[in-house]
Amino acid sequence: MTRGAFKVALLGAGRMGQIHGRNAAANPRLDLAYVVEPRTELASNLAVELGGRTATLAEALADPDLAGVLVATSTDTHLDLVLASLEAGKAVFCEKPLDLEPANLRAHVDALARPGAPLYVAFNRRFDPHFQALKARLDAGDIGRLETLHLISHDPAAPPPSFIPTSGGLFRDFTIHDFDMARWLLQESPTEVFAFAACLVDPAIAEAGDVDTARLVLRCASGRLCVISNTRRSGYGYDQRVEAYGSKGAAIVGNPRVSTVQTWGEAGSAAAPIFPSFAARYAQSYRAELDHFADVLAGQASPLTGYDASLGALLLADAALRSVRERRSIAVERL
Amino acid sequence: MAAIALFGAGRIGSIHAANAAAHPALTLKYVVDPAAEAADRIAQRWGAQVAVAEQVFADPDVAGVVVASSTDTHLDHCLAAARAGKAIFCEKPIDLDLARVRNAAPQLQGARVLMGFNRRFDAQFQALKAQMDSGAFGTLETLNIVSHDPAPPPIDYVKVSGGLFRDMAIHDFDTARWLLGEGPTEVFASASCLVDPAIGAVGDVDTAKILLRTASARLCLISNSRRSAYGYDQRIEAFGSGGMVRAGNVTESTLSLWTEPGAAADRFQNFFLDRYADAYGKEMAHFAEVLAGAEPRVGLADAIAALALAEAAETSVRTGASAPVAL
Repeated sequence: MTRGAFKVALLGAGRMGQIHGRNAAANPRLDLAYVVEPRTELASNLAVELGGRTATLAEALADPDLAGVLVATSTDTHLDLVLASLEAGKAVFCEKPLDLEPANLRAHVDALARPGAPLYVAFNRRFDPHFQALKARLDAGDIGRLETLHLISHDPAAPPPSFIPTSGGLFRDFTIHDFDMARWLLQESPTEVFAFAACLVDPAIAEAGDVDTARLVLRCASGRLCVISNTRRSGYGYDQRVEAYGSKGAAIVGNPRVSTVQTWGEAGSAAAPIFPSFAARYAQSYRAELDHFADVLAGQASPLTGYDASLGALLLADAALRSVRERRSIAVERL
Repeated sequence: MAAIALFGAGRIGSIHAANAAAHPALTLKYVVDPAAEAADRIAQRWGAQVAVAEQVFADPDVAGVVVASSTDTHLDHCLAAARAGKAIFCEKPIDLDLARVRNAAPQLQGARVLMGFNRRFDAQFQALKAQMDSGAFGTLETLNIVSHDPAPPPIDYVKVSGGLFRDMAIHDFDTARWLLGEGPTEVFASASCLVDPAIGAVGDVDTAKILLRTASARLCLISNSRRSAYGYDQRIEAFGSGGMVRAGNVTESTLSLWTEPGAAADRFQNFFLDRYADAYGKEMAHFAEVLAGAEPRVGLADAIAALALAEAAETSVRTGASAPVAL
């Protein structure tokens, strides 16, 4: 494996850490030097696979040649690790969400949002080629003026109930992606949120105090509307679609399929399944966002999403939570 | 052969007249409309007579009436028909005023009333319902209904329409009740005027997103717009515990064109007269069954329930909160 120009450390060797670690190791501009992970076997296995070495956070940050840090640990540790890395003068790639509490983000606004802060928060869907093609169509005016937006975002299967208590709940953990998509595509931050939510998939999720099914309506100051459809379990794969309705037409992003093969039989025709997981559906976006991080390290780009996108999405999640409790539409706190 | 009379010789009246005339068990005997020219045109076309209401109700040969007049006259015609012992096929909505319909309901109790919620008779949506009922995708959890008109109606119509929820979303409220198999108990709606400021100027909206919640916490989304530049957009997706079933738009042909900029399909059938032509024929055929003694598949209680949902949606728009549905 050739070593790229920018030395980076991976924090966290779990599910997301493995995705980002492998993409970093494969990126010709990045050199994955360190894997930082308290679970030693997990750490050494990944380090061996990727050609780096295990280290402590302090060791990694003390390396003057280290240019960037990839934070892919559990959510509750993100903010501390990001702050420590920024403090050490490193550029940071952080898995979403940056934190679950808007107040925590606001408390560190100086570090996180200072001009030129090299903080990229990984809202990967903005790097998906299908959604980028949609955005290009919207920007080109192909459907006229955008009026309303539908985001359908259904997971294939519910996570284990043990994941729920630390997840932050459906809106902060899952819908957070859709909130970011809405802000990105509307190019306007919604000012009002209403949400109906229910536990229809797995009663264990309700016992853990969360919901697994939701419909949300976001409203902008201009009167434009956005609907978000969420479930933790679709039963047919990872359903990720966007429908944008404008004054001159609509633009639809459907689900890519694992193959283009169709079978036609006596009972009708059947298409190949849609992708079974986010890792498969968004594989390209995970590679592209690491490439974006390499651009940031090279000084060729400013981070596309950072403090503002994180806080903006989180404030929408908080409004949705309040709406479920109060059964009314909630004004979204300003950034 | 059962003789029937048509009230209303407008756009939808002429559809019903043609379907009645084409049905082997029905004879269109009378056409009633104060616009004499329109009444005359339809009567001549199908060999019927122009008449006034009293004449229709006094004729013992008339088994049923089709009420396709302007909305503000629906309920009065229904009540008169019920008093005369005629079966009723009434276009939606039965009235714009829920309280008025509720007050009139006892007088309609004995009458056989078929409500013109034509989408229940659409082959696409019936196939969707059959899949749902077969349990092929498990138990229904949520429903997304997209219902966008190609272009807004004339502003003179908007003024008397009763507004987006009572005039347009009323179909989707009925579809939601039909597919959910239970009446929603709570409604949230956010609505805007994004298409034509003239619609806002007469106090209506042209764009809405509506969420319904049932007692069992199942959720339904309805998306409405008075204008979709690409044609009549009528889709339903039903999400269940074991998968999803959807009904898509019907295109004018199955043609697709593949060229350098990409692949293109033919346009969607442009409006309800095309898209639901078959459904209108089937609901008239069902009216013939009602005249022969069958129970109407969609009736007065459905009309009231859909109107109650429309009223709750309006309340929600006003208050910004979800509104309970008045049962």
